[in-house]
Amino acid sequence: MAGGYLTVVGLEPFFHAWLEETGALEAAWCRQAAEIRSIAEWIGLNQAISAMKLAREAREASATLGRRFLELTVALTGDPALRERAAAGCEVHLAAAFGCTGRALEAAPEIAAAAYLHQSLASLISACQRLLPLGQRQASQLLWRLKPAILAVAGNAEATCFVPALEIASMRHPLLSTRLFIS
Amino acid sequence: MHLAFEATPGGVTVLHLRRQDPPWRVVRAFATQSGEALVHLHNVSGGVLSGDRLDLRATLSAGARVQVTTTGATRVYRRRAGSVEARGSVHFALGEGSLLEFLPDSLIPFRSSLYTQTTTMDLAQGATLFWWETLAPGREASGEVFGFEQLRIDTEIRATGKPIAIDRSMLNPLSRPLDSAARLGACRYLGTLYICRAGEPAATWQRMEDRLNCIASRLMEGEDGVRWGISPLICDGVVVRGVAPCSLPVTSGLREFWQAARLLLTGEAATPPRKVY
Repeated sequence: MAGGYLTVVGLEPFFHAWLEETGALEAAWCRQAAEIRSIAEWIGLNQAISAMKLAREAREASATLGRRFLELTVALTGDPALRERAAAGCEVHLAAAFGCTGRALEAAPEIAAAAYLHQSLASLISACQRLLPLGQRQASQLLWRLKPAILAVAGNAEATCFVPALEIASMRHPLLSTRLFIS
Repeated sequence: MHLAFEATPGGVTVLHLRRQDPPWRVVRAFATQSGEALVHLHNVSGGVLSGDRLDLRATLSAGARVQVTTTGATRVYRRRAGSVEARGSVHFALGEGSLLEFLPDSLIPFRSSLYTQTTTMDLAQGATLFWWETLAPGREASGEVFGFEQLRIDTEIRATGKPIAIDRSMLNPLSRPLDSAARLGACRYLGTLYICRAGEPAATWQRMEDRLNCIASRLMEGEDGVRWGISPLICDGVVVRGVAPCSLPVTSGLREFWQAARLLLTGEAATPPRKVY
């Protein structure tokens, strides 16, 4: 880091730590969603995720993306279990929506979790390309080098996360006068 | 230790000491200027030792008003070879319309310590909670920074049975460096303040968030490395989280946030516990 800000050189260790913490937790939620059977458990999981996402903006974004993702997969697959979860009347977080969709598509929970982490990381790296002097080749190489870490985390059973610096940044994000995206 | 607080018809809160096993010790409750029963938790052994199992349960009857603090920092000593981890658990059950201010001193995990701390808060309708936690990196003056083996912190706050805040943190400094930009970065101290009232409308928390953000912006001006964040919980509360390179900005900041939040939520000024600040 330079002056408290991330640099291109610091991205790989940063994303390793992100995977060990936030990634591991999200992967655990993804796997849990793939494995639970009852609607009561589904509602309980999403309520727990809401309670664990302390930063409001991140919580609301996860719930918005999760609801849209689940509605899309219901429309595409017509799967009755997905339809039942979409109609449960609770917030639906993205990791949980991804996990239950993976199950509907007969993907193993760890595979669904790894796919979720891969697409999450790819999105973050893409954002870094807009915010940092990170070229396309560097971005691709970075994602490639992180793949073993993704696989290691996807199978991790520990649903814990310690990222206070990121949490505080997320809490302060709504106060920024300049934002990367309009939403 | 099992404490029971009861609100009397006269409006005074009394303490009933149901159980008190060593090393826990409570002398008696004092009355604060704002009417709470103030209790100091004392660990007569001087800290948390290898293999300890410490359990604190407290119940507040409807309308009870309580302030609980400690006589000093919670020091977690190193794990002896062959010994299991030390565990501390705290559970508060707040009755309808009760008020709890749980304001312990810092948690200081010493080199080679292995500790799990579990805290749960259950709020009935109208119950109010102010609760802060401060985490130190170790005995910093002795050059001990993040030398502990493992620290696990499990926290859950429930309002009328529904979880509103959950924190499951696992700190392993030796294998997962805490100075990562994703974790603490250049900071060494972490402070958290939960402000909750079961059943309070969302508009209150919006006003609270705005007010506390003003304080946060002022506290960060000119303070290198100090960062504060404020966020409403899913409902019934707000959380304040801060990191700093040293302890004073965190402890003084938490006091200021608590005092502002107390005034906004209850209309009453906060009474700091009897300590030297």
